[in-house]
Amino acid sequence: MLERGEAATAVVDWPVMSTVDETLPPEPENDPRALFEEQALPFIDQLYGAAMRMTKNPSDAQDLVQETFVKAYAAFGQFTQGTNLKAWLYRILTNTYINIYRKKQREPYQGTIDDLEDWQLGGAESRTASASRSAEAEAIDRMPDSAVKDALQAIPEDFRLAVYLADVEGFAYQEIADIMKSPIGTVMSRLHRGRRMLRDLLADYAQERGIDTGRAGAKK
Amino acid sequence: MTDCGCDKAKRDLEEYLRNEVCSTNSADIREHLEHCASCQEEALLARTLTEAVQRACKETAPEDLKLQVMAKLRAAQATH
Repeated sequence: MLERGEAATAVVDWPVMSTVDETLPPEPENDPRALFEEQALPFIDQLYGAAMRMTKNPSDAQDLVQETFVKAYAAFGQFTQGTNLKAWLYRILTNTYINIYRKKQREPYQGTIDDLEDWQLGGAESRTASASRSAEAEAIDRMPDSAVKDALQAIPEDFRLAVYLADVEGFAYQEIADIMKSPIGTVMSRLHRGRRMLRDLLADYAQERGIDTGRAGAKK
Repeated sequence: MTDCGCDKAKRDLEEYLRNEVCSTNSADIREHLEHCASCQEEALLARTLTEAVQRACKETAPEDLKLQVMAKLRAAQATH
């Protein structure tokens, strides 16, 4: 009985397999783009978040994300599997934004801000007395999200983007340099100065609302 | 004692917190931080700012956008 069963299975197996072969879609490996949906789509929330910080409004952010996915899909054959897909997608997002939306918004050229390197002279350090830094940290910790977002929107775009890519996305300096097509020193400068500006704006916000930041008397 | 002092620790603090300094410098700064209350507060402040930005920037793409992107990808696939 057992022997007959095995024989029967062997006979039955072949026709089944050949039928499956004929109906199977082409192997995904043949077209790298078949992997695109599975690999790239999970980044849509993060890309949308970045697009929101870039364009400052949901409608442009959605257009930018769509455009990014279409371009990334078309170029996916050039993506090297095993390298950082997230950084690759962010490069396309940033390029697309700069080419389309930044021109549209006509923001003034910000190169002159980069030229000032005052963070190297101590600009990144706290202006507050040591004893009150914990008060400033506490004030920032309690800051409503809307206030943090407003402060981010208020700083120059290249600084905002550097802060976003480093703090929110956790990209390494070299990855940010690649994404923003800027030297690594410029990225560091933007990051330091951007965070310095953020801290000052958040301290102002807190002070206007009478929240103790430990900064009373330390300003100016 | 390899304590690098407050000046160096504060100058490189952000790079230290982001693992962007070489291991020797990193060890120096770590050691300084262990003994310096002032630099510890500076580090806490830096981390707090990063966390506040992370929290504020958390976004979820609208469902509509996901559907539109899927539709565009499907349309692009169909043309190949």
